[in-house]
Amino acid sequence: MSRRVLLHVGTPKTGTSYLQDVLFRNRAQLLKHGISYPADRFDAQFLAALDLMRLRWGGLEQDAVGAWDLLAQRIRDHDGTSIISHEILATASRTQVARALESLGHQPGGDTSDGGTEVHLILSVRDLVRQIPAEWQENVKHRAAFRYARFLELIRDPERSHRVGAWFWGVQEIPDILARWGADIPPERIHLVTVPPADGPKDELWRRFSLAFGLDDLDLDLGTERSNPSLGVPESALIRRINRAAARDLSPAHYRPLVRELLAHRTFSKRTGSPRLGLPPDLYPWVRELTGSWIAELTEKKYDVIGDLEDLRGAPRPTGPFVDPDRPPPRQVNNAAIDAIKALLLEAAHRQAENERLRLELEDARREIIRARTPRLMRSMEWTVRRLESNDTGRKALGVYRMARGRNSRSA
Amino acid sequence: MPPNDAALDRVTGEGQRRAWAWAAALREGATTPWHEWSGTGEAFRPRLPGAQQLELLRRLNLAASRAGREVPVRLADRILAAGVSGRGRGDLGLIGADPDQRFGPRPVDPGTLPDEELLRVAAGLIADDVAATGVGAEPDRSLIERVRAVRRPWVPSYVIVGSQWLVEPCVDDLVARGHRPGGRQPMAYLLADDLASVIAHAWTARAFDQGGQRWPAFLEGFAQAGHLPPRADLARMARSAARRYGAGRVTVVLDPSQLADRLGVRALAAPPRLGAHAVDLVRRVGEPLGLLVPTEQRPALLRATLARRLDGRGGPSLTIPRRWDTWLRTQAERIHHEIAAAGYPVLGDLDRLLPGPLVDDAVLPDDAEVLALAVGLLLDPMTPRPAAGPTTEEGS
Repeated sequence: MSRRVLLHVGTPKTGTSYLQDVLFRNRAQLLKHGISYPADRFDAQFLAALDLMRLRWGGLEQDAVGAWDLLAQRIRDHDGTSIISHEILATASRTQVARALESLGHQPGGDTSDGGTEVHLILSVRDLVRQIPAEWQENVKHRAAFRYARFLELIRDPERSHRVGAWFWGVQEIPDILARWGADIPPERIHLVTVPPADGPKDELWRRFSLAFGLDDLDLDLGTERSNPSLGVPESALIRRINRAAARDLSPAHYRPLVRELLAHRTFSKRTGSPRLGLPPDLYPWVRELTGSWIAELTEKKYDVIGDLEDLRGAPRPTGPFVDPDRPPPRQVNNAAIDAIKALLLEAAHRQAENERLRLELEDARREIIRARTPRLMRSMEWTVRRLESNDTGRKALGVYRMARGRNSRSA
Repeated sequence: MPPNDAALDRVTGEGQRRAWAWAAALREGATTPWHEWSGTGEAFRPRLPGAQQLELLRRLNLAASRAGREVPVRLADRILAAGVSGRGRGDLGLIGADPDQRFGPRPVDPGTLPDEELLRVAAGLIADDVAATGVGAEPDRSLIERVRAVRRPWVPSYVIVGSQWLVEPCVDDLVARGHRPGGRQPMAYLLADDLASVIAHAWTARAFDQGGQRWPAFLEGFAQAGHLPPRADLARMARSAARRYGAGRVTVVLDPSQLADRLGVRALAAPPRLGAHAVDLVRRVGEPLGLLVPTEQRPALLRATLARRLDGRGGPSLTIPRRWDTWLRTQAERIHHEIAAAGYPVLGDLDRLLPGPLVDDAVLPDDAEVLALAVGLLLDPMTPRPAAGPTTEEGS
């Protein structure tokens, strides 16, 4: 039976991709220290979360059948500390939370006296000033075609009747996430990791994660290629327009590598000079009030805070103009579009070259098959003909033979 | 269900006690709506179920009492313990049950919940039942069935292509009669119908293997893009068959009885007749089922279970709303023209491709009707497949 489980359930856009990448690439090193991060592929725990919550995800759920039970089994089989981390777990319902905790060996009230697992809930959190635009952007990178204004309208609907609003608050409303996940966990085992302000020290977030997960003294490879980079205003606007025009015609299997990976992550995220997406100025008072109520609630609950709850207030309203992604500067969108076309052309050229290489390889293979099936006598004859054709005497002899064969053929 | 004191929700106020009493009464078969409920009681399970689960149970009690039946306590407990599948709001609180609640989705009067919310719970439960039937993609066949399925040498070489929804039952039946498709240089028969029906079949096939969009959204997406769903584009299917089997070896079938004559059978088997609401229920159940069984098993499993149970039910067949008339006619005429121009032989009248006039009151899936079907399936659930044993033929 595993003694401890560090259960990191979100929230999205708080450096979770980076953390999960570090954990995945250091699995062996962690295990040497008794820490298990059970995952055979980088998205194994994401699949487990889909399975737990019975969520469709553009076809990825096909690989998720039975994934949660498998993960829970591996955790129960590990004698030591195990880590689970995926941000979409934040939206799990109370029923799903109960199933998850039970499958991990959690006893009511977190009782460990009878061999129950000591579950620690970890929630990394970031201010809404950054989360709101980031979530719209994430929607856009997942085929959404609605405007920023529409998104803001949906998340401000108090009924949360639209799936966008329901999802947003499901993964972002910190007190509610903790009420669902933490109802049966002692508050001292609930850890809040706040994301430092954008102008804070570069490694501060990792330092806080490291503290929360007890990774401080471990020698881990922190270099990573996986991250979830943010986009600027024109780039976000462009992807939304691409979605409107083409997402319906692209299957998830094509959308993912071409739009999300090639355009959003590998092309647009490198355009660092574009204006950043922000919160519209008129929403600052609403966010300030909401955040204040959250901070009051979290303070009252006496959770373990790694960082500072004040981080949740976010940066003050910027003095510069707000650049609206629903009315982006055309010139900037055009420039981003040129970069997109260039990237797609290069990709098309690369794929064409790859097709040509594969075609030649296939031709060679076909030739080899024919050769392997050709009788030895035939191969000897071909070899003889090639040798004779390589010099004058041989060619003359071959000519005489062909004339004789031709006469014979006619007479036949 | 025995209560576990350590895990029970704290019953802190009058609202909570009222909610627990309502839940307990529903478990015993009550049909009183929440807003009329006045009794109080204590917690009897670890967590108070969400408004969706409680209201679904009340609807089940209503349906059962109308039929002079009772909802078994075991089923009631299953519903109270169920999750809410898919995207959207999680378990919702009851209005008035917890006046101190400051965060999370607003509590609701469960009686005002849209049927859609109740269907999210019901679909998950039915998916569990379907998965538990254990029906595999390949049913066990008796010796006689296997002998009957041996290909007769005098059967002409043929393949059947077209709308998956029509082709699969037809081919399955032909195989069972020894008319196995294939052979040397087969003739490809493209099963066609009027385009409105073909589009409905395309959505039906999609409901079985992917789930996906509702019928109106499905139509709107393709109509606005100005093309047909790939599974309904008969001209494309004919071209594809011509490339594969040869241009002169494709025949378009608009009169199935003529094809039956050619193949030497009395009639071609038709798919189950599923009404609009039944197809929508399959679509909804398919989504959570996709997380319970491997993808490749899902369509066969749904056909072997839900499709059989819902055969002949679920209201009239789907139709296309009049607003898409221009799109439908344009596409039908294009297909008619392309098939005629390509010179494929036709069994029947090619004009049958052209849809009849669309009516104002199109038949669309209705959530209330879909929920009624789902409630029926919960009251009389599909049962797990019995352990394999000798079949009647083998045993006799």
